[in-house]
Formats: sequence, C-alpha cells, structure tokens
Amino acid sequence: MTWLLGLSRLIDRLTAFVGRWVAWFIFAATIVSAGNAVIRKAFDESSNAWLELQWYLFGAAFMLAAAYTLQRNEHVRIDILYGLWPRRVQHWIDLIGHTLFLMPFATLMVWYLWPYFMLSFRSGEVSTNAGGLILWPAKSLLLIGFALLWLQGVSEIIKKIAVMRGVIPDPAPYVSAHAPLEDVSTPETN
Amino acid sequence: MLELIAANIAPIMFGSLVLFLLFGYPVAFALAANGLLYFFIGVELAPHSGGDISLSWNLLYALPERFWGGVLANETLLAVPFFTFMGIILERSGMAEDLLDTIGQLFGPIRGGLAYAVIFVGALLAATTGVVAASVIAMGLISLPIMLRYGYDRRVASGVIAASGTLAQIIPPSLVLIVLADQLGRSVGDMYEGALVPGLVLTGLYALFILIMSIVRPKWVPALPLEARTLGSGVTSLVVALIATGAIAYGSYQWLEPRYGDNARIWAMVVATIAIYLAAILDRGLKLKLMSHLTQQVIIVLIPPLALIFLVLGTIFLGIATPTEGGAMGAVGALVMSALKRRLTLESVEQALASTTRLSAFVLFILVGSRVFSLTFYGVNGHLWVEHLLTSVPGGEVGFLIVVNIIIFFLAFFLDFFELAFIIVPLLAPAAQKLGIDLIWFGVLLGVNMQTSFMHPPFGFSLFYLRSVAPKIPYIDKVTKKRTEPITTGQIYWGAIPFVLIQVVMMALVIAFPQTVTRYKTELPAVNPNTIKIQLPSLGGGLGLPPLGGNTGDQGDVPSGLGGALPTLNGPPPGLGGQQPAPAPAPSPAPSPDLSQPPKIQ
Repeated sequence: MTWLLGLSRLIDRLTAFVGRWVAWFIFAATIVSAGNAVIRKAFDESSNAWLELQWYLFGAAFMLAAAYTLQRNEHVRIDILYGLWPRRVQHWIDLIGHTLFLMPFATLMVWYLWPYFMLSFRSGEVSTNAGGLILWPAKSLLLIGFALLWLQGVSEIIKKIAVMRGVIPDPAPYVSAHAPLEDVSTPETN
Repeated sequence: MLELIAANIAPIMFGSLVLFLLFGYPVAFALAANGLLYFFIGVELAPHSGGDISLSWNLLYALPERFWGGVLANETLLAVPFFTFMGIILERSGMAEDLLDTIGQLFGPIRGGLAYAVIFVGALLAATTGVVAASVIAMGLISLPIMLRYGYDRRVASGVIAASGTLAQIIPPSLVLIVLADQLGRSVGDMYEGALVPGLVLTGLYALFILIMSIVRPKWVPALPLEARTLGSGVTSLVVALIATGAIAYGSYQWLEPRYGDNARIWAMVVATIAIYLAAILDRGLKLKLMSHLTQQVIIVLIPPLALIFLVLGTIFLGIATPTEGGAMGAVGALVMSALKRRLTLESVEQALASTTRLSAFVLFILVGSRVFSLTFYGVNGHLWVEHLLTSVPGGEVGFLIVVNIIIFFLAFFLDFFELAFIIVPLLAPAAQKLGIDLIWFGVLLGVNMQTSFMHPPFGFSLFYLRSVAPKIPYIDKVTKKRTEPITTGQIYWGAIPFVLIQVVMMALVIAFPQTVTRYKTELPAVNPNTIKIQLPSLGGGLGLPPLGGNTGDQGDVPSGLGGALPTLNGPPPGLGGQQPAPAPAPSPAPSPDLSQPPKIQ
C-alpha cells in the first residue's frame, strides 16, 4: 500500500504541476485573442497562425488541466441523489465510477489517439489555412491529456481504496455545488 | 429477444443514460462510458438489427477526429474561458458595489426604488459579462441589508435580487447563448442580436412587477426615508445632463451616419458618453458646480460598465471583433479597470485563471463525453427516434415548442445548462429544423428557459448564491441599531416564484412574437470576412430545405453539435420542409451543420 500511495503522490504532483501551469495559457490566449482583433482593425492585417494560436493555447489549457480537475474532485456531477448518500456510499460510487467509467474510457482513448497522433507526426501535418500552424503538437495535446487523465485515474483509485480503509484522510471531499461558495469560481455550473 | 432489444436500443440507451447520470459520477465520464458500453452492445447486436444499427469496430477510429474537430479546434467555445475570467476579475473589482451604492441612492427616494436599482444594476452587469454568481452575491451583500433596514418585504427583496442576477444568462454576452449557438450551429453574433430585445423586455417585466407591487402593496416596497438619502438631491441636474447626452448622441449620429451607416448609432453613443464623462470630470476637477453631486456621481460610476459593454458588445456588433475576441477584449478591459482601481494583484489573477481553467476543463470534457455518446447514439439511429417522437407532437410548430420547453423546464430542475446544452439540445435541433423553426429563435427561447432554471426552488443556483450571503441569524443593523430578523430559506423560495412566473410569461411572449428575435436578420453587423462568416438566412423561403447548406456557424469546416453525422442524414427529403405551418414566422435558414457535414466516418 505504501508504495502505491507513493506512486499516487507522484502522479498527483505531476498533474497538479501541469494543471496549475497551463492556467497561464488562458491568460496568453486572452491577450492573443484581444490582440488579434485590435491588430486586424488597426493595421488591417490578420494572420491565421495567430488565430490558430488562441485555440491551441486554450486546447492545451483544458486538455492538460482535466486530470488536475479530477484530482480536485471538480468535474461536475448530477448530485440530486449523490448528495443525499452518506460519504461511505459516495466512496463506493466514486470507486466504481473510476474503475468502470473513467479507466476504460481513458485507456481506449490513449489506444486510439496514439496512431492518430503518429500519423500526423510522421507526415508533418500542417494546418490547411494559409500560413497556419503545424498541427501535430496540437494533436499531441489530446494524447497527453488523456494519458494524464489515465494516470490520475490510477492515482484516484489508489487514494480511494486507502481512504475507504482508513489509511489516509479524504484528500478531496465532495463539495456540493449547491452549497454556498466562498470562492465563486464556477459561476454557472455545479 | 435479441431482435427486440436491437429494435429498441435507442430508447434503452437513453434510459440507461439517465441512470448513469443519476448515479452521480462526473457527467463527462458517465456520458463517455454510456456511449462506449452501448457501442459494444450495438456492434454485437448489429447483425440482429436488420440494418437499423450501423456500428462497427472501425467506427471508433472516428473518435479522435471528433474530439479534434468538434472540441479542440472550436473557436466559439473559446469564449467560455474569456467570459469566465472576465467575470471573476470583475467580481473582485468592486464595480458592482459602486454601482449599487450610487444607483440605489438615485432610485431610493421613490417607492420600490431600491428594487428598481437592483434590476437596473442587474441588467447592466449582465450586459458586461455572463456570470450570474457575481451579481447575486454583490446585490445580496449590499442591497439586501439596506432593503431589510427600511422595511422591504423579505420575499420581494430576495426574489428581485435572485432574479436580477440571472439576467446575465439571457442578456448578451452570455455563456448560455454562446454554448447554444455552438450546439445549434448558428453564429454567436446572431444569437446575441436575437437575444437583445427579449433580454430587455424581460428586464422591463421585472420592473413592471415591482411597479405593480408598489401600487398594490406599497408597504412591501417603501421609499428610502429622508435621513437615508446621502447623495443629496439634484435630480433636475441629472435630467438635464441626460437630455444633453441624448442631444449629443443625436447630433453625432446625424454627423456620422453618412460615413458609418448603421454603425453610426453605436459610435454616436460612444461619443456622447465620452462627452458627458469629460464634462463630469471637468466639473468636479474645476469645481464649476455645473452639475449636482448626484449627477457627477451617477455619471462617473456608470462609465466603467458602459466602457466594458462597448468593449464586448460594441466591438461585436460593429464587426470589429468576433464574439470570442469580444470576450477577450472584455477580459483585458476588466483587468485594466481593476488595475486602475488598485484592486489587481498577481494572486487574484492567478486564482481567477486557476478557477477559469478548471471550469473550462470540466465544461469541455462534458462536450468530449457527449461526442462519444452521440457517436453511438447516431449509430443506433437514436436521433431518428427522438426526431420522430418530437415531430409527432400534435400542434405543429407551437405544439413542439411548448412540449420542448416543458421538458427543458423540468429537466432544468436537476441538470444545469452545460449538460442541457451538450446532451439534450443536439437531440432537439434536428427536429426543430425539420419543422422549419428558426434556430436562433429556438435558441433564445431555450436561453430564457434555462435562465429560469437558475431561480426555480429548490435547486436554482441563484437562490443558493443568495442564501450564502443572506443573513441566517438575527443581527443588529449597523445604522438603526435595531435587531433585524434573518431571511429564511422559505422566504427566498417564495420570493422567487413570481419571477419564475414572469419567466413563463416571457417564454410565451417569445413564442407568440418571434419577430422580437428574428429581427437579427435585418440587423446583421458589418462583417469582417477574414474571420467571421455569418450565414445569411435563405430569404427565398424555407421550403424544400436544401440538403447541404455549406457554411453555417462560425467555422464552416468545424462540425458542431452532434456533427459528423452518418451518411443517411444528409438532409431530410425535400418535401418535408413544405409541411411547415402557414404562419411560419421566418423563412428557415440553411440547415444545421449536423446535417450539412460530409460523413466523417470511414
């Protein structure tokens, strides 16, 4: 159990590092996007590379932060029933969900995204827009995102079993979206 | 037996999706797991289905492309993080607080005045960003204690705050409208144009409700007593200033119109606003005393939100920026404004970015999950099943709209709008399309409906946000030193009910008067052809829908919604469009991109 928890900590540290770091991509995307509009108006110039860069950045942010979001237990649930269960039942739901919902999905996606990425990488695929960016790094985001999600799934299963056995305290207790939020970070969602 | 299951696999799949979601595991992965499970079942059952199920293992290779085209390379949804980021920054900038203080003082002296101020500020905040929580919390913290202090009915006070906060959902720029535009395959700009009038009418209806209350139950909505009016009088001066602003706007419109055409209206407003702002600043700086203190204060406090509205909506409607870029401009504007007010720290930006990123991750992953689900659901012809169910509703177009709205209204009790938009709306769109319903009209209607979900008891988010800041225990009022009773949850619920009814009235109005929405067709903004492709409605009449519409939505090459449809879907038989009822409000636009995409499946 100890070495499994060590592995889980290692994974958590990796996904948290990536997840926090990519938040700045949103900032960069904001500046690029606003800049695109201003430059187009002021100098009557626009470049497909810059237009593509904004969704490259955003794609990187949400794909790479998905694992971290899972770690923080912030992927949105429908908690109409879940919220009523005692914590113990919630643990079982999470464990079953991790093993039967998340892991098969993440595994399958890594399996199918690998050839998809390799095809693009080998052919040096470039955007079809004139002056567009090279595409394989963006496609690699899908692969890396799902790979991180897979790793995080492993870590979550380890932690969940440890929590249920009382080995460690609950690292990310479930907070209902319907509870008052101090930090109103998720405005229109739960 | 197998044949029976194979024949009914679509309803079975849909039913089990409901169970998967109610299970309580995160929606994104439950959707994907449901899609994959039924994919395997579907492939096994395919030989028994007599051709109804068109699934084979190779089809899974289509998934990466569906994620790529529909999720990653999607410029429209890029607006989600921008507006979220902007909303969080604005929330911490103190703009809402300043507005409420001043506007409350302005309207306070009349009966129901504080409530009008809440509605007005709610609408103003709604027009700057699309975030509900921020305005409800600000109003709950600032206006609610004042309303309680001077004897407002607790239900009216909490109801008006909860409802005004939700205006952010329907007045552009709103996240709901962006997501709906994406899923319906329409341009966000059109959606904004379409939602503008209904949003304003709704604001007017809220105010009308308060007006009626002030006549029927004057004690529930008293005016501020004299000693509470701190800004002094000077309304005459404000009226004069407003008339002057109007005159400047009219003058500049006449002057600018030959050069800018329709856009001159927006520019004229900009000119007039800047002029009156400069006058107020000069007056204050040089102590000219041309304007009353009240007037100066009102003008100065209104400028930041108006500037942001111009940055976001103005640039979009002028065709300078795409809706996505408008969001980015707004976010930059909010950053600058917070910095000027010295409320911007590295820490707050980091926090805002972190929250925005996690929100984006779970929203976009719901979309990822729904694309797995839809691959299978289309493969088992589930869309045809849903379409058949919905188009066989009696009453044609109106019957369909009523049924759909009732369904969404009830689903919204426990699904929030991202889930509704990504799971339910793509199923509804083809049926709406088939009945010849204008999809912008449909989208705005759904937008009003989903806005309601924020305030229905007991799960409305707006009510929860208000609950989190409303007093829960008796407290001593700071000014009157009197013991004040708390607000009960029951009062919050009762207060919301009249506003939920107003929403229902509004939905009926939008159904009855589609022209409130379809005016977007005549008000197309100037378009920069480089980036924005706004599809023109086929004004020749919507009969005989052409099977391939080419460019729809922001990016013609990106499948939206449940795109990548199977080959059999390429357009309904031409005859069907002819069944649209005679008083069809608008010629139906080009078909949805769902149908217009070439098959993506090998």
